[in-house]
Amino acid sequence: MSMHLQHLIVSHSGQTLVNVSELQLEPGRPLTIVGESGSGKSLLAHAIMGTLPGSLTARGSLTADGTTYDLADPSNRRRLWGRVMSLLPQEPMLALDPTMRAQEQVAEGAATFGTDPGSARGRARGMLAALGLGGAARSFPHTLSGGMAQRVAFAAATIADAPMLIADEPSKGLDEAARADLAELLKRHLHGGGILLTITHDLDLARELGGDVLVMKEAEIIEQGPARRVLETPAHPYTRRLIAAEPAHWAHSWMRRPAGDETKPALITAEGLTKAFDGKTLFADLSLTVRAGERVAISGPSGCGKTTLGNVLLRLARPGSGQVHHAETLGGGRLQKLYQDPALSFPASVPLRDSFGDVIRRHQVPPSRLDELMDALRLAPALLTRQPGQVSGGELQRLAIIRTMLLEPALVFADEPTSRLDLITQEETIRCLMDQVGRQDCALLLVTHDKTLAGAVADRQLALTPEEAPRGTVTPREAVTAIA
Amino acid sequence: MNQLVRHESFLVPAALVLRQRVIQAVAVALFVSAACFAIVQSLPGDIAFRIAAGRYGYDQVTAASAEAVRADLGLDRPAWLQLLDWLASLARFDLGTSLVTGGNVAGELALHLSGSLQLAAAALVLAFLAGTAAGTLAAFRPGGTLDRALTFWVSAARALPPFLLGLVLILVFSVHLGVLPATGHGESTNIVLPALTLATGLSGLFARVSRDAVIRIRQSDYVRFAATKGLGGRLIFIRHVLRNTGVTLVPYIGVQAIILIEGVVVIESLFAWPGLGHALVHAIFWRDVPMIQATALALALLVVLLNTATDLAVLAIDPRPRTSQAAS
Repeated sequence: MSMHLQHLIVSHSGQTLVNVSELQLEPGRPLTIVGESGSGKSLLAHAIMGTLPGSLTARGSLTADGTTYDLADPSNRRRLWGRVMSLLPQEPMLALDPTMRAQEQVAEGAATFGTDPGSARGRARGMLAALGLGGAARSFPHTLSGGMAQRVAFAAATIADAPMLIADEPSKGLDEAARADLAELLKRHLHGGGILLTITHDLDLARELGGDVLVMKEAEIIEQGPARRVLETPAHPYTRRLIAAEPAHWAHSWMRRPAGDETKPALITAEGLTKAFDGKTLFADLSLTVRAGERVAISGPSGCGKTTLGNVLLRLARPGSGQVHHAETLGGGRLQKLYQDPALSFPASVPLRDSFGDVIRRHQVPPSRLDELMDALRLAPALLTRQPGQVSGGELQRLAIIRTMLLEPALVFADEPTSRLDLITQEETIRCLMDQVGRQDCALLLVTHDKTLAGAVADRQLALTPEEAPRGTVTPREAVTAIA
Repeated sequence: MNQLVRHESFLVPAALVLRQRVIQAVAVALFVSAACFAIVQSLPGDIAFRIAAGRYGYDQVTAASAEAVRADLGLDRPAWLQLLDWLASLARFDLGTSLVTGGNVAGELALHLSGSLQLAAAALVLAFLAGTAAGTLAAFRPGGTLDRALTFWVSAARALPPFLLGLVLILVFSVHLGVLPATGHGESTNIVLPALTLATGLSGLFARVSRDAVIRIRQSDYVRFAATKGLGGRLIFIRHVLRNTGVTLVPYIGVQAIILIEGVVVIESLFAWPGLGHALVHAIFWRDVPMIQATALALALLVVLLNTATDLAVLAIDPRPRTSQAAS
C-alpha cells in the first residue's frame, strides 16, 4: 500500500503552521523531513496521525489503501492506529509506562491481546529477543538505557504490523552508537515493506536512512529530493545554512586555538580519581588539570560517566577515591554550571525577571550587566517578563548562559548544553556561549556525547570510553588528545 | 535470574524499611510513655482523689479513701520510680491493671482497639471509594460541572470540623428523620453515622488528589503512546491510568489514615463508640494512668504501623528506586 497526502494546512487562530500541497509515501523508500524547531515538521506528522493538540485545526486529505480520510476530523484515523499507522514517540523513556514491565507494554499493542493475551506475550517476547532485549523483557523502564528504551518502544509501535511508521525526532538525546542502532531498526521496518516517515533535525540520521529528504522552513517545504543530492549539493540557501550549522562544518574565529598555555594558573587539579556506579567502573586513576582560560571537553557515549566526572571535578559529587583541588579564584560563585535542560534549571512558575533579580541581589551584580548581556546575546528585554515555559528552548538556554555569565565566572561547566536543540539553534547557542567565554577569558569544561562538537569547541579532549572489562580490573582512561 | 533480581530489589529495601520502623516504634514507645506520664503528673488536682471517685463514686470520696488508694497504688512513691516501674512492665509486655476498674488493661485495650479499627476501616473505605470515583469522573472533563461541584465539596468538607458535621448528621438522620441511631454499639447501623462523619472529611482530599493525578496521567506521554499503539480507551484506563493513579494515591491513604487516628478521638466521644479515643478521654477524666499510657501508646504505635504499611505498599507497586543516582 502507499499513502498520499494532499493539501494539508495546519493553523492556529489564523496563523498557518504547516502548508504542504502534496506528499507521496511509498513502501520501502524512507522519507525524512528535516528543519529547525518551529518549522512545522512535527505538526505535519501529527496531522497525518490525527494527534494534533486540540487548539490546532487541520485541513486536507489522506489516502491510504484506497480510502480517503478528511484530515479535519482527527478521530477518523483512530481505528488505524497500531494496525495501519503507528507513531514512534519522541522520548521513548517517557513514552513507556514506569510501572509496567517492558514485555507487557509491547504485548498490549498486539491485535490479539484482547482475545489471546498469552500468544501476544509470546510474540512480544520473540520481538524483544530479536532486538537483543531478551534479558530485558521483564525489566521496568527505569532500568533501561535510552537506546534500549528506544528499541522497546519500536517493538511496541510495530507489534500490530502497522505498515506505516512515523518517527518523531527519534534520535533526540541519543549518542552516536544508539543513533546507528536506531537507523538499523528503522531500516528493518523498511525492508519488511513498510512505509517510513521520519521527522528529525539530525542530518546524520537523514544520511543514514537515505531515500528522500524534504526540508521544511516556516510551514513550507522549500526543498526536496533524494537524500544524497539534497544533503550534498543543496540548492536552497536555507538548506545550505542548515548543513553549515553542523559542528563538523563550523568555521568560527574562536575555534581551533593552540593547545593550552602551561604557564596559566591551575583552576581545578584532580588526582587519581576513581568512581564506580552499580559495580561498574566509570573511571579509574584519572588525573586532570584545568587551567585558567582553557577549554576542555569530556566526551563519550551515554552512561559512560561524563556528567559524573564533571560533577566530581566541580565537587558536586564525591569521587570513590582521589582528590580534587580548586583554586581560590573559583570561590564566591565564580564557578558556574550550565545545565542540559534549561526548562528544569529555571523555576517553572516564576517570571524570568525575578529569577535574574535573585542572582543580581545575591551577588551584588550591577543590574545594567543584565541589559548588556541580553543585548549581546540578541535577546529582547521583553522576554524577561515571561515565564520559562513561554520562551523557546534555544532562547531559554541563552538566558541560562546569561545567568552564568552575570557572575563573571572563572570556569563554566556546560553539561550537554545543546543536546536537545536543533542544529541552527545549537550553533547560535554555542556561539553565544563561546563569545562570552572568550570575552571574559573564562575556562570552559564541556560535557558532550557529540565528538564533532567537542572537537569544534575544545582545546583539549578527554574521551571516556565505557568499561567493557570485567569487574575488578582497573583500566586508566586518559585518552587525552591535544588538538593543534 | 530475572525473578531473583526482582525479589532482591523488593526484599532488600523492604528489610531496610522494617528495620528503620522498628527502631522508630521503640523510640516512639519510650517518648510517648514519658510524655504521657509527665502530662498526667502535671494535671491539676490530686490523682488519688479522682481515682477514689472513679472507684467508689463521688459520694464516698473522703481523705481516708484517697489515702487508701494512694497506698494501694504506690502513688506516694517518687514520680521517676513510678515511671520506671511502668517502663519495666512495658518491657515485659505487661500493661498493668486499670486503676479504676481493676481490670486487665491489655484486655480492655484489645476491645477498644478493635472498635477503633472497625470504625477507621469503614470510614477509610467509604472515603476512598467515594472520593476517588468522584475525582476520576471529574478528571475526564476538567472545568466541567462535576469538576466545579467537586471543588466546592473539597473545600466544604475540609472547612467543616468533624464534631460539627457529626452533630449535623445526628440532627438530620437521628432526630428529624429517625432513620439511624445516634449512639450505641452492637447493631450494624450504629457504625453508619460515625463512619460517614469521618469519611466526609477525608473524601475531599481523595477526590482532589485522584482528580489531579488522573488529569496528569491522561496527558502523559505513555498514555498517548498507548493510544497510538492501538489500545482502546477502556484498556488504556485500566492498564495505565488506574495503575499510575494508584502509585500516587497509596501514600495518601497512609496520610489520610493518620488524620483518621486523630479524628477518631473526637468522633468516638461524640457517638459514644467504644474505641481507643473514647477510652482515652475516659481514662484521662478518671486519671486512670495505666489506661492513659496504654491507649496513647496504642494510638502512637498505630501511626508507626500505618506508615510502615504505606512504605511497603509503595515499594511493592512502584518499581522505581526512591533515590535516583544516574550514572551519567
